[in-house]
Amino acid sequence: MLLLMCVPAIIFFVVFNYMPLPGAWIAFTNFNYRDGIFGSPFVGFKNFEFLIKSGQLWMLTRNTILYNLAFIVLGNLLQIAIAVMLNEVRLAWFKKVSQAAMFLPFFISSVLVGVIAFNLLNYDTGALNALIRQTGGDPIKIYSTAGAWPLIIILVHLWQSTGYGSIVYFAAIMGIDRSLYEAATVDGASAWQRIRYVTLPSLKPTFIILVLFSLGGIMHGNFGLFWNLVGNNAALFQTTDIIETSVYRMVLAQNNFTTSTAVGLYQSLFGFALVMTANWIVRRINKDYALF
Amino acid sequence: MKRRNVVRVGAALLAIGISMPALTAAALAQDAPTEITMLTMGNKPTNGRLEAMLEKLNELLVQKANAKLDLFYIEWADWQTQYNVQLLSGDDNVDLVATATDWLYAWENAEKGAFLPLSPEMLQANAPKTWAQVEADGHWDLTKLADGKIYFMPEDNYTQYTNHGFFYRGDWAKEAGFENGEITKFEDFTKYFEWVKANKPDAYPWDVAGANEAALTGYIQGHTDFQTIQGISAGNYTPFHTTAANPYTVTSWYMEGDALIEAAKLAKQWNDIGVWREDALNYDGDTREELYAGLSGTDQHHTQTFVNDIVNNLSTKQPGSDPKFFYWGQENGNFFKDIFTHGAMAVSAYSKHPEKALQVYDLIRNDKEIYDLFNFGIKDVDYVITADGKLGYPEGYDSSTDSLGTDYWWGRMDEFELPRTTQAPNRAEIIAKLDATAKDYPYSTLIINKQNIDPTLAAMAGVLSEYIPQLQYGKFDDPAAAVAEMRQKLKDVGYEDARASIQADMDAWKAARGL
Repeated sequence: MLLLMCVPAIIFFVVFNYMPLPGAWIAFTNFNYRDGIFGSPFVGFKNFEFLIKSGQLWMLTRNTILYNLAFIVLGNLLQIAIAVMLNEVRLAWFKKVSQAAMFLPFFISSVLVGVIAFNLLNYDTGALNALIRQTGGDPIKIYSTAGAWPLIIILVHLWQSTGYGSIVYFAAIMGIDRSLYEAATVDGASAWQRIRYVTLPSLKPTFIILVLFSLGGIMHGNFGLFWNLVGNNAALFQTTDIIETSVYRMVLAQNNFTTSTAVGLYQSLFGFALVMTANWIVRRINKDYALF
Repeated sequence: MKRRNVVRVGAALLAIGISMPALTAAALAQDAPTEITMLTMGNKPTNGRLEAMLEKLNELLVQKANAKLDLFYIEWADWQTQYNVQLLSGDDNVDLVATATDWLYAWENAEKGAFLPLSPEMLQANAPKTWAQVEADGHWDLTKLADGKIYFMPEDNYTQYTNHGFFYRGDWAKEAGFENGEITKFEDFTKYFEWVKANKPDAYPWDVAGANEAALTGYIQGHTDFQTIQGISAGNYTPFHTTAANPYTVTSWYMEGDALIEAAKLAKQWNDIGVWREDALNYDGDTREELYAGLSGTDQHHTQTFVNDIVNNLSTKQPGSDPKFFYWGQENGNFFKDIFTHGAMAVSAYSKHPEKALQVYDLIRNDKEIYDLFNFGIKDVDYVITADGKLGYPEGYDSSTDSLGTDYWWGRMDEFELPRTTQAPNRAEIIAKLDATAKDYPYSTLIINKQNIDPTLAAMAGVLSEYIPQLQYGKFDDPAAAVAEMRQKLKDVGYEDARASIQADMDAWKAARGL
């Protein structure tokens, strides 16, 4: 009976993840509506050529992976730090208020985040530049400065996701055997030593599993956030264009389904290889922590 | 047979005879009207006027074709992104599809099988009036692919100009030192912009948003004889051209000559002046409303918008503003008359009722009662006819909230159009002046086979979408170096191969016509 609980998830994955798989064939065709996916002329790897020719492949892969690594590493470290710190707080009301305050950004739509960012950062009327002007400084052209955006995007992502992510670690901390802490206290361990020798080692399995899950999506950026923060600003593409935003422009603005499917397929295959590699490495280090 | 029986049989036969037409009519009336859906472009109105009009329209359509019509809108915020996706989806709920060869990917979508090929017989049977008018004007050839089949019905009987240019304020231009407030050269806008910047601190000289290349194309058109080959798009760009001096040689103003560099330098100068918002690329506000609010000195669109909307709205909302229009190519006459497929109507390849869809279209296009209702709304509610025979609006009508919004640009007919009270009073004069100098687009029947160059066009789109917006908004410190870099990248992704392929199509087309 318990297995029945899996049915909705199985249906979900079959419908949304497995049934569309044959559609990837579009990437190898000169697609037309009349002949459909499997009737359109086969063109081999022609739809992939432009990616290599245009040099976009390297830039998109680099941006996507680096952003995701930053999100995963910084995100998890910050989430652990927050969970551990909150765990040490004894004032129940402060703990609750802090958690709620940090949780809240997770529910703010990316569209709204984009609007807030524009109103804060834009050159002519943005709050930041207004402040700089009033203090006699030179305003900053943030939307023309590609170098500033990795920092902005990472900060916004952390702001949005840290509160939510820390809950998982907080729950893991709650699950740690209390007797370990009591024993440590009896042995004279300080608060920092309890964290260092009890809490953090106990969080290791959770950390590794969460990182492996995140690696599964390493080729998938946070499209909504990127698109709403950067939009179609070509001046920032070098540092902000990720595979998803590029595919979006291709398939929607450029009416090009074949090449965008090619990029999507590349994204999936590369992501698959990355996950397998990461899992293989984890299994070599400690078999128990590997996903499969 | 007894006499009484004969009478009875006779009476029965008579009764059947009398009631047959009534029975037939009753049976027909019981056939539910066919629901036809038209995909159109525009923002669906929410003021209830569209629904009220459709209710009356559908009564007429049921009477005349036993059909009902509904509209499916692709909104302006999404048109460049959602239109093709909607066609790709193969939605069989859509029957009629608004299209155009120069801005709505008609040829691409026809080649990809989104539209139903229309045979002359099918058109003659279901859209006889449309067939006869287009045939009489000899325009069906403009709607055929290489397979010789008709793919859409052109809006070939409606006079308009959709040549782009700047709308600006004559009152400000006059104060800036232009005689009669008239600006006649593209570069002269620098002086106008500088004046607005210095004298109207609340206004941007040209409030412009998002992807735009008007600062480049406007300059190039007025300073060269480049002419764009329509229907070969690389993303939002049409990167292949010819020149008037060499009309059968395919080239590109993105690749050849110094005009793009000069235009980009001027754009940089404008950016340094502060003509537009520093972050125009990320701004998505309604810049036309800014113009109407007196917060922008310039807007950019075409003649039709100027005569139909700008003159009236700007004059009303900014009294004394003296709206003016400067169009690209005004200096050297390098601009074109509208092509007959700037608006057109196709039948979806997935339509379940293609014949009925054609019948409905034929009525909308040619039946005056239905045409008036569909285009202008309910008489005395949505519009009035003035004493001097113009189409006007009732007391208290506000076009920004009360418009009908059917946005029918896919088969308008000159004979049913009335001059409007809200149109520029000198519309006829403007059209006549343009008619006197505009060129005919020479490549209306040239269809490019893009099958082999699609990946190259995708790659070119990637390069152009990176460089052109930045050149347009003067974001490169060294525009000449940026253009050189862009040209090299376009070459790297296969520009020459694509050009050669298009040249081959051009050569074949030219030879077939003995040009």
